Amino acid sequence: MAINSRTSGISAKLFEMNWFLVVLIFLTGCVGVAMIYSASGGQWNLGAKQHLIRLIFGMVIMLGIAFVDIRVWFTLAYPAYLGALILLIGVEVMGVSVNGSQRWLDLGFTRFQPSEVMKMAIVMALARFYHDLPQWRVSKPIGIMGAVLIIFLPVGLILNQPDLGTSLLLAATGVVMIFLAGIRWRVIITSCIAVVIAIPLAYKYGLKDYQRQRVLTFLDPESDPTGAGYHIIQSKIALGSGGVNGKGFMEGTQASLKYVPENSTDFIFTVIGEEFGLMGGLGTMLLYILIIALCFLLASQCKHMFSRLLILGLTTTFALYVFINLAMVMGLAPVVGVPLTLISWGGTVMMTVLAGFGLMFSAHLHRETELPRGSGLLL
Amino acid sequence: MKQKRDDGVVDMGRRSAMLGIGGLGVFGVLASRLYYLQVTQAENYKMLSDRNRFNFNTTIPERGRILDRHGEPLATNKLDFRLVMVPERVHNIDETLDTIAKILPLSAPTRRRIKKDIREHAKFVPVLIDEHLDWKVFSALNMKLPDIPGVLPLEDKGRDYPHKGLFAHILGYVGKPAPSALKNDSDPLLRQPTFRMGKTGVEQGQDKILRGKSGLQKVEVNAVGRTVRYWQDDKTDAVKGQDVWLTIDADLQKFAAAQMGEESGGVVVIDVMTGELRVLLSTPTFDGNLFVSGLTRKVMKQLNSDPRRPQFNKVIGGGYPPASTFKMVVMLAALENNVIHPEEKIFCSGKIHVGNRDFHCWKRRGHQLMDMQTALQHSCDVYFYEVIQRLSMDKVKSMGERLGLGQKFDIGLGGQLSGVVPDPAWKKARMGTQWRTGDSLNAAIGQGFVLATPLQLAVMTARLANGAQAVQPSLIVGQDLGTMGTLDINPDHIAFVQNAMRSVCEVPGGTAYRHNSLGITGVEVAGKTGTGQVRGISAAERRSGVLKNRDLPWKLRDHGIMVGYAPYDNPRFAIAVMVEHGGGSASAVPKFRAIMKKALIDDGVKGGA
Repeated sequence: MAINSRTSGISAKLFEMNWFLVVLIFLTGCVGVAMIYSASGGQWNLGAKQHLIRLIFGMVIMLGIAFVDIRVWFTLAYPAYLGALILLIGVEVMGVSVNGSQRWLDLGFTRFQPSEVMKMAIVMALARFYHDLPQWRVSKPIGIMGAVLIIFLPVGLILNQPDLGTSLLLAATGVVMIFLAGIRWRVIITSCIAVVIAIPLAYKYGLKDYQRQRVLTFLDPESDPTGAGYHIIQSKIALGSGGVNGKGFMEGTQASLKYVPENSTDFIFTVIGEEFGLMGGLGTMLLYILIIALCFLLASQCKHMFSRLLILGLTTTFALYVFINLAMVMGLAPVVGVPLTLISWGGTVMMTVLAGFGLMFSAHLHRETELPRGSGLLL
Repeated sequence: MKQKRDDGVVDMGRRSAMLGIGGLGVFGVLASRLYYLQVTQAENYKMLSDRNRFNFNTTIPERGRILDRHGEPLATNKLDFRLVMVPERVHNIDETLDTIAKILPLSAPTRRRIKKDIREHAKFVPVLIDEHLDWKVFSALNMKLPDIPGVLPLEDKGRDYPHKGLFAHILGYVGKPAPSALKNDSDPLLRQPTFRMGKTGVEQGQDKILRGKSGLQKVEVNAVGRTVRYWQDDKTDAVKGQDVWLTIDADLQKFAAAQMGEESGGVVVIDVMTGELRVLLSTPTFDGNLFVSGLTRKVMKQLNSDPRRPQFNKVIGGGYPPASTFKMVVMLAALENNVIHPEEKIFCSGKIHVGNRDFHCWKRRGHQLMDMQTALQHSCDVYFYEVIQRLSMDKVKSMGERLGLGQKFDIGLGGQLSGVVPDPAWKKARMGTQWRTGDSLNAAIGQGFVLATPLQLAVMTARLANGAQAVQPSLIVGQDLGTMGTLDINPDHIAFVQNAMRSVCEVPGGTAYRHNSLGITGVEVAGKTGTGQVRGISAAERRSGVLKNRDLPWKLRDHGIMVGYAPYDNPRFAIAVMVEHGGGSASAVPKFRAIMKKALIDDGVKGGA
């Protein structure tokens, strides 16, 4: 391994790190700690402490991944993807069912969701695919088919679990990466038309009853105020009653009286909106905008296709999480069970997101490293 | 374009910029949505949030008492001691129950019930361990409670009937509202789990007055309905239910009950001027307190299988043949229609042959010659058999109804029987058959189709005593009775009947004669005995000798009836005593005398002259 002198030493890497982004990530995680503390009624032990521990632990892992040479991740791109794919098939065969969805692998000591790993693996694989693919073949059948295959295999498996939210997230990330890889507009427009035609068909034949119910409830939440629409109505009440300045930290009645269900996980933004009002909500959104903008900056500083696509792909996943969660909480999207990354309570997502940031930092720190091209699927 | 393609990454700058702008656009949409929710719609959602958060709890007022005419409480509220458990604060349910069981024994079914209640309710809802604890156990538990977390002593007001069963038929009892009551009554009180409403008697009839008005207490509740905070400054107090006063004299009713002893039957004491009921007693009775706390299956079975029917209010709901007490009605009808001169004598040989059968007088050997007054004094049946043949039954019916028979009275109690004063039209409608002379003869002596309640007999006697007004019975003080109608009977005829009734009690030979019958010098009684036949007596039995009552099973013995009023010259009270299967009027007369004497003495009537 020929290591570039500029990025060889640990100290140099430390210097090269975008510490502003690291601080932003940590700050956002701390917002989560504070809001979980409030949502659990001022109890330190009911999640807030655990969230902080996970945040710190996750950031250590993030830095660990960041300092690993990008060539390691470059080499691991396809094996990681294949591994995740095998795990997904494993779920299909011997997974554990929770709430009617078979998403988990029981490892004995913990349950584990392979689709979370796939979120990173698919980005790595696509980045690698386009890195090896000559630009002129991107819009050729071989380029399109290859990318579609990489996306469709895991999306199909996850859709079958069934987990509509994650499969849509993966598909969207994949589509954005194809777009970034420079596919022709002609192909984009043609596919768009195809999708518009396919959506009604998918709704009718592809969705499970409960998923269709979620869409219907989203369109008219008042139709079922105590059942499926309850989340959306209570969540809007929490946000709306917060007003401009909010009710104050720990003063949110919707939160403390537990009217909003799952308000330390998927619906944590309602606690922010209720207790800190429009200012708190916009402030949180600003944190995310800054994080995403910095990621774009990191990507633009990279030279290789792999590094750029890796960073932008992971950023896309991250941003989609935030968009879908906020839209859901504000009643603009169906309730799909997507957490607000870094802020929502929950271990797996926190770890995968921070690991993802680790990969981004690694790509950025080793942006001068030479990466071979054209080795394709043979590595 | 070509060199960009070679580089392979140049094109991405523009596309990622487009992506970034798109992302910012999404954030813009989200931010404006947030603005819409938190600024434009803020007021609306604040209101909804408050509606979520606040609840108005209904507070239950104390139920009004029911008092007798002197203010003696007949139905009141007693502190009830209960023990409840809040499951979420209990570490170990079984251990806790074991600890409690050392002081307060808990049966296996009780334990099962407690565990079932715990399973079925949210963990913060207090579950009843036991209620109606006596003070000793309760204070012992109180001593121990600080060591048992999650177990709370509660003091609550529950309905209490201090005289046990003495007034049970009047008062009725309270219980949980039935689903039908919820449908017709929108009062929020009825939706409260601890609220009890009147189910029968005055408790039911006066329920709206007794129950009071519910209060409201603003509370903060969380999503699962637990009350988190009470707002002391934001509440409407519950308005206590009003007391209801009865015309009943508790002391006299108690005395009457003592006179009745173990007998089944009823006593009615009524003020002949006002119609106020001083006593309205049906025996045997039942303890209303048992119904409040919930009947055990054993007690329920006992009450239902008792042949004397303790739950049945015989004085207003029991239809009995009025027997010879009906003779006053026949007599007045005869006088009014001028079918016989009072001094005309009729010969009683002991029986009369009508159609193809004999109708017997109670005196086998006959009364010989009887005029109207002696016929009543001796209660000669043959005289009245003769008289009624000269009358059409509708005339008798009209008289009976003017005197208060065959009708219900508005005394605020349900379960009244209207009774029967029969005439051919009634028989035609009821049985579909023709009226026969024999029916008239049976009616002449208050048997056959004639049915009356003890209350109706008391009203009849009061109207005879009053002589001028159609006295209406009343039970609740302050109840609007309207104006009393006139009796519309010739006062001379009334006076004649009154005198004949006096001779029953005060002239030797009268069926209820005893020298100085009340034992109050100068106070005379006017009345009439009756022996209500329960069974038919066959010709064969008559030949071989009619069975004595004491030789018959209880169910077949005659009813004993006595009605009357006193003092004769200045009537105060009319009393009807009915002893079910008492074996004849002799069972009723002494009770009548004792109760009348006490009623008059309590009322301040003095002997003398």
